[in-house]
Amino acid sequence: MNESSLPPPALAVRGLAKRFDRPVIADLDLTIRAGELYALLGANGAGKTTTLRMVTGLARPDAGTIRIFGIDARRDPLAAKAITAWLPDDPMLYDKLTPSEYLAFVAGLWRMEPGHAAAEAERLLHWLDLWDQRDARCEGFSRGMKQKVALAGALIHDPKLLILDEPLTGLDAAMARSVKDALRAQVDAGKTVIVTTHILDVAERMADRIGILAGGRLMAEGTLADLRHQAGTEGMTLEDTFIRLTDGR
Amino acid sequence: MARPGSLGWLVRHEMRLAWRGRPRGWGGALIVAVLLAIYVLGGIALAIAIRDLPLRPHPVLGPWLFGATLLIASLMTTQAMLASQQTLYETRDLDLLLTAPLPPRIAILAKLLGIGASVATTSAGLLFPMLVPIALLGHPRLLGAVALVLLVALAAAAVGLALTLALARVAGPRAARTVGQVAAALVGGGFFLASQVAAHAKDGAARGLIGWFEAHGLGRAGWSALPMHAAFGDGMALSLVALTAFGVFAAVGIVLERQFLSTYTDGGMHMTRRRAPRRGMAGLFHASLRRTVFAKEWRLLARDPALIAQIAMRLIYMLPLVFVGVRNGGATAPVLAMAGVLIASQLAGSLTWLAVAAEDAPDLLVVAPVDPAAARRAKLAAALTMAAPFALLPALVIAPTTVAGAIVTLFVTTLASIATGWVEMAMAKPATRSQFARRQKGSLAATLLALLIALVGGGIAAGAVFFLSR
Repeated sequence: MNESSLPPPALAVRGLAKRFDRPVIADLDLTIRAGELYALLGANGAGKTTTLRMVTGLARPDAGTIRIFGIDARRDPLAAKAITAWLPDDPMLYDKLTPSEYLAFVAGLWRMEPGHAAAEAERLLHWLDLWDQRDARCEGFSRGMKQKVALAGALIHDPKLLILDEPLTGLDAAMARSVKDALRAQVDAGKTVIVTTHILDVAERMADRIGILAGGRLMAEGTLADLRHQAGTEGMTLEDTFIRLTDGR
Repeated sequence: MARPGSLGWLVRHEMRLAWRGRPRGWGGALIVAVLLAIYVLGGIALAIAIRDLPLRPHPVLGPWLFGATLLIASLMTTQAMLASQQTLYETRDLDLLLTAPLPPRIAILAKLLGIGASVATTSAGLLFPMLVPIALLGHPRLLGAVALVLLVALAAAAVGLALTLALARVAGPRAARTVGQVAAALVGGGFFLASQVAAHAKDGAARGLIGWFEAHGLGRAGWSALPMHAAFGDGMALSLVALTAFGVFAAVGIVLERQFLSTYTDGGMHMTRRRAPRRGMAGLFHASLRRTVFAKEWRLLARDPALIAQIAMRLIYMLPLVFVGVRNGGATAPVLAMAGVLIASQLAGSLTWLAVAAEDAPDLLVVAPVDPAAARRAKLAAALTMAAPFALLPALVIAPTTVAGAIVTLFVTTLASIATGWVEMAMAKPATRSQFARRQKGSLAATLLALLIALVGGGIAAGAVFFLSR
């Protein structure tokens, strides 16, 4: 099959570079296929968040290209943003807004048709078990509740690419399960999900493919079996594989 | 109704957030309503009293209105700088706005309008209850002053943001917040200090700077007379001020878009400073609780430029008392004694509030095997030590006039500072350090009692110095 006839990958990063005092990301190439759940792993300071902030337009790369479903995100950022959602590790919510109002605001930013947005907000609030709190201000919510409201905000405009930075940090088991289920449901519905996580067990159980960043470069990538093969850790856990591949970095 | 994602829609969103962020509760609202009603009634009374006075532009008024405009503009710019820093580094909703498919310029302009609205609201609250009744009850041309305040707020918002972005560019992302906070304090206090320095050199409280304006023809004619003519409703002057304000606003919103984005994204990286340790780890550990608490409190304050800037602002605004005391040497040593007690005790109260009420890890202190009272005393001692230089300075200046008076001043200052610190320890409600500027809202009783102690202590010190220096 001709390569140009293939559907574009959900994310194609080429030669991405960013430095602050030192190079944080150096000549990074990354391809994430449409419809997969991709886990980006790496030690603290490996460049995971910086990479994702560049993909979402929150940081300006020093070099490189970013294509989201074939759209050049640096040349046509609005088109790329229209099909992308970003959920940071500590999502910002307006404390003085209720979940309903927050979702209405996000829907407005993405210029959704009001009737459709309201129906989608109702569906998400029910699905994430937030319906009873829909008219309470977010200021009194637990971290898990806020995370779910933020996730609803990320999902309301039905993004093709969902990018989440440490989405399970600080959640209790039940909350973490509901977030994981929500992410899996997105992938099952044909969406692409990229997560960074420190919880290797999550990556091991959920991810279709895993990428390991170290020192601003992609050290290894593939399915869990691929990574084990590369690291020579067949039969061992992802934790063992990760440590072997990153050599403790 | 504004289209979702449009500038008007985003501005409405900003206003909704600002409205919901107001202090809640009936008590506070009632106090504000009563004070506002009294203020408005005062404005109406004044308006009736001067309704038949012929108010019109006059060369004598020009320098005063020019000075007043500069003062208001400098305070508004400070407020705008602080609001800009909050927008760039603290509010964090730009992550959402900048990942949404809308032009970043729209988000930036909405934020800028929000900053302008907050700046204008503060000034409007202070000035309009007087200005509007005077204008409506006999002097309609003074509605120009209302428009002038709003236009200056618009320009100040833009200038404040531009200064913040320029400082971030010069200082770099790490030092941007520190430099910005200090610069904001200097801008806010700069005009004030200049007026005091000028007043110190000449006669009269504010005559010095106004006199300088008069000597240089400022405020009477040409561009510097615009505030006077605009305040009195001159259409041409108002149009020129409006053109300037909107021009500055649009230029900053459009031209500095790229700089705004890079400042925000760099700020979002949360880079932390890595310093090579100047001494070994052992130097960080202390055997006594007092030294441990001292070290922690001093470090936290030294590493919080926002707080230092706010404290500096408060001190700058109290400086007129010192200038009055110093200007005439021994003749007003009592005033200096009073100023010393007021400043040092208020500072001690602020620092004690930071150490005790705004403790970041109260649970840690509770579960630690230390006497809680001893820990609190150590915190009070740390706060008093920080305020000590401000207690010593007035005493040293008074000493050449009366040594006994200086000793009494130092003694009373120490007592007042300890008492103010105790009040804060006993009455202040737990809060975060970022709430420092609004801490009075936590405990109005503590604030009033601390002020009473400062005034009584100041009165005693002033009286003692007066009698001892005769």
